[in-house]
Amino acid sequence: MDSPQNISMEEAFALAEAEAKLSAALLESKERFSKATMPDRLNEDWRFGRPHVYARELAARITAAGQPRQAAPLEQDDDLRQTEMLMPTIGSDALLALHLEHFGTGEAHYIEENTTTPLHVSYTAATALTPSTFIMVAPGIRAEVEITYTCADSSCIFATCNIQVAEGAELRVRVHAEGHGTDARCMLITNIQNMGGKVAHLTSYKSLRWAREETVAETYTPDSETRLFSANHLIGEAVLDQHTKQIHHSGGATSDLLYKNVLADNATATFAGNIYVAPGAHHTDAYQSNRNLMLSEDATVNSLPGLEILADKVRCSHGSASGPMDEEQLFYLLSRGIPHYEAHQLIASGFLDEAIEKFNN
Amino acid sequence: MDETTFQIDTRGAFSMPENHKFDAGYGLTEETIDYICDAKGEPDWLRQFRKEALRKFNEMPMPFHWAPEGIRNVDFENFRYYLSHGATPSRTWEEVPEDMKRTFERLGVPEQERAFLAGVDAQYDSETAYTNMREELQKQGVIFVNSTEGLKEYEHIFRPWFGKVIPVGDNKFSALNHAAFSGGSFIYVPKGVKLAQPLQAYFRINSESMGQFERTLIIADEGAELMYMEGCTAPQYDSATLHSGVVELVALKGARIQYVTVQNWSTNVYNLVIQRGLAMEDAEIRWIDCNLGSGLTMKYPAVVLQGRRARGEVVSISLAHSGQLQDTGARMIHAAPETTSNIVAKSISIGEGRASYRGEVKVLKGMKGCKNNTECDALLINPASRTDTYPAITVHGNASAVQHEASVSQVDEEMLFYLQQRGLTRAQAMSLAVNGFINDLVKEFPMEYSVELRRLIDLEMEDSIG
Repeated sequence: MDSPQNISMEEAFALAEAEAKLSAALLESKERFSKATMPDRLNEDWRFGRPHVYARELAARITAAGQPRQAAPLEQDDDLRQTEMLMPTIGSDALLALHLEHFGTGEAHYIEENTTTPLHVSYTAATALTPSTFIMVAPGIRAEVEITYTCADSSCIFATCNIQVAEGAELRVRVHAEGHGTDARCMLITNIQNMGGKVAHLTSYKSLRWAREETVAETYTPDSETRLFSANHLIGEAVLDQHTKQIHHSGGATSDLLYKNVLADNATATFAGNIYVAPGAHHTDAYQSNRNLMLSEDATVNSLPGLEILADKVRCSHGSASGPMDEEQLFYLLSRGIPHYEAHQLIASGFLDEAIEKFNN
Repeated sequence: MDETTFQIDTRGAFSMPENHKFDAGYGLTEETIDYICDAKGEPDWLRQFRKEALRKFNEMPMPFHWAPEGIRNVDFENFRYYLSHGATPSRTWEEVPEDMKRTFERLGVPEQERAFLAGVDAQYDSETAYTNMREELQKQGVIFVNSTEGLKEYEHIFRPWFGKVIPVGDNKFSALNHAAFSGGSFIYVPKGVKLAQPLQAYFRINSESMGQFERTLIIADEGAELMYMEGCTAPQYDSATLHSGVVELVALKGARIQYVTVQNWSTNVYNLVIQRGLAMEDAEIRWIDCNLGSGLTMKYPAVVLQGRRARGEVVSISLAHSGQLQDTGARMIHAAPETTSNIVAKSISIGEGRASYRGEVKVLKGMKGCKNNTECDALLINPASRTDTYPAITVHGNASAVQHEASVSQVDEEMLFYLQQRGLTRAQAMSLAVNGFINDLVKEFPMEYSVELRRLIDLEMEDSIG
């Protein structure tokens, strides 16, 4: 191997070991993809998610759109392609394999300096788009990123996002996906690797016919802090399918999750969360909360908050609550002369504000 | 213990040749079913019914996509499907494991019962107690018989509800039970009769009191009330390693059923039980469930709230020590308006034990004013203990409120330190803390059960903490 002259034996050894690990991981990942089948009814990670409808439709649309242009910015970057290959999914390995076939579009940012204004990353799909975003934050750096996905004209976006945060770094990521037209669809696979920094991640979905989120937040070192938020107001026939995993590989870290939805009309929201505390990851603090406000008789909520705890000295809790609007709050607003519709809107936005406020702090 | 009092030589000899005529052998085929039907003298419709169920059982896939890993070890070829009492395999008191003997000692189980529970004796004789009780019940018009007798003598009541709450094709294990069922109870409580004394499977003297493929159907007619108890806290040895019971409860208008199960099978047993109740208008069904034994338990008592203002409740305690997976939980289906349900589940994982809560709460479309509250708490005793929570909640519409909360915790070190300072051993302190953790649920059990449960936890703590 062609290592530079000025590194020590130990460093060279560590480097060789890392490379061996990487190639082993890549081999494993290849096997994972070869085994993966398109999500079906027996796929527990797609429970309530109607994979035979939505996963198939997404795959069909992406395949129909064809390969990205040769000039796609990340096309030649093998390191980034490998990073995406190693991404965990929540029941969608086959779809990630499809995404890799279309790899190329996207942006990679290595943030080494404190930023005062948010870094904007934005993607707009005309028919179908498969962007990959990579955000790496150097030790001790504070940064803020805003990622916007826009599906014009009932198009679809199938995106991946890899976030790596080094020790002492602070990162806030705000993800917003929005659709236009009657049948816009969006799927986001996100992997957050926290190596001792602080990460806050907020997602929101608007006017999409179907959206699926798979967010895997991993913490590797003590003192890591990962907070995940989502706030959505779903109307019409919207279907939102959110899956999260908070994985604690080592002890002493904190993770927190708050996903809130307001559902009107015929909207459906599914939340399936999981906190996994690995063996030996003692002194972990992990919380998870899913709250749904139901505004319509025809709205549906599925909530699957899960815990898997393999260590002790752990503080973990999860909660899920779904219910109608508080009559007293509504009565108060109405008695102050606020019309019915506005009062509803006010309470709904107040409900979602909790998640947004917590993200902002 | 003085072993000579047991007369082991004669009691251990239960594998005498003539008793083998009630052993259907390994594996489940049409021949096995014919064997069971012939042995029990069952009518033709039941034979056809069982065969149909067998066909469904063979067709249906195992629920590998959601079930715990341990279920992969279940090999249906390696089980016996019909063992009558005389055919309990030979086992002498010497073969009973030391820890089991010690537990009997500590729990204060009467000697006659010890032999039965340890699998040395095939039958527990409580004829006198039972006869008195039966006369009392008959006066009130209560039917309390085993399921075979129920189907024979009371077909007009039994058959209309047979397999209605849990249909044959509900899942693979339900089909299995329909094909191979034997044992279990059939209970009918007439209109307005409120039973003051709990009914116990323990006292219903018959060969199949604790069957492998137990089939229990309890019907409480309008306004009736009863409490049923099965199992016991003392450890039970069983040579039949697959248990797949079906328990159906029907609470008609305004009726109230409480079903108490305490299970402490030896760890070679797979305990895969389906329990479901149907609650009509203003009726109430409560499952009070305690899982202490078996290697793998999968048990999710369910209530289908079918009538307006029906109420369902599940109170569940499970304890998993090394080598055990307790996959327990609850299901509540709100199929009528203004129905309410409550689930309280507490689990304790000791050593490398794994306790899981798996639940489902569903509020169907158009149902207004439904309420559900779910709480599950887990306590981890050792660093290698494991706990999981897998709830699934589905709510349709904006007129119901559903909430779920779960927490995982350890015994507070400071509390242990304080108690130890006062002169308690660590194990005593730990057992005090664990008993405190489940205290509010233990109160739900009948007195003798809760006393035994406490002693059992003392014992567990001594073993794991020392």
